Amino acid sequence: MTTTTIDARGSYCPGPLLELIAGLKLIEIGDEIEVWSSDMGSVKDIPEWVAKVGHEMGETVEQDGYWSLRIRKSK
Amino acid sequence: MSAGPLFVVLASPEHEKVQLAGMMASVAAVSERPTQLFVSMAAIMIFEKGLSAEARYKGGAFSAAMLEKGAPDAIELFAQGKILGDLKIIACSMALAIQEWSLDDLEDGLFDEAGGLTKFLSDAEAGELIVL
Repeated sequence: MTTTTIDARGSYCPGPLLELIAGLKLIEIGDEIEVWSSDMGSVKDIPEWVAKVGHEMGETVEQDGYWSLRIRKSK
Repeated sequence: MSAGPLFVVLASPEHEKVQLAGMMASVAAVSERPTQLFVSMAAIMIFEKGLSAEARYKGGAFSAAMLEKGAPDAIELFAQGKILGDLKIIACSMALAIQEWSLDDLEDGLFDEAGGLTKFLSDAEAGELIVL
């Protein structure tokens, strides 16, 4: 299992989500992506999308001025 | 969110509405919701090939701020919706004729075809229709 970090800080909605989706296409099932986003909407939008399409949402952690969201590719 | 397809008519060239169309079309398309965008009236003009962002995007109280703050480029949002999701973009054949344009005058890689409103509205009976 590998973890890829996507630094989407400074990107506005829906930029972080689209960067996540592009990143998921490049990794294997079981691998994880950690998205860093300073966009407040992404904190709800990304888990909503992940649940809708059937991936697995890990923890969301508020950092200094941004959020870190962990997603595992499930399909 | 409904599981049915989403159909968006973009008729306004106003930056705010173009941006919202890009946001909705791209997000719906990547969320396993087939999406069609029908570009008509003056909205066709913002898709002219080769324009700078400053020349392309005008109108609406948020336009200048979106350009200054670096909001995602609407054309890029449409392109990402096509690459990452199920997004079909149709250029209104009437709008093209009024401009004396063909698909070759529009940004490369975005438009699937030139088409008419009747076919689009017929397809839209299967889903939800939004007009901007």
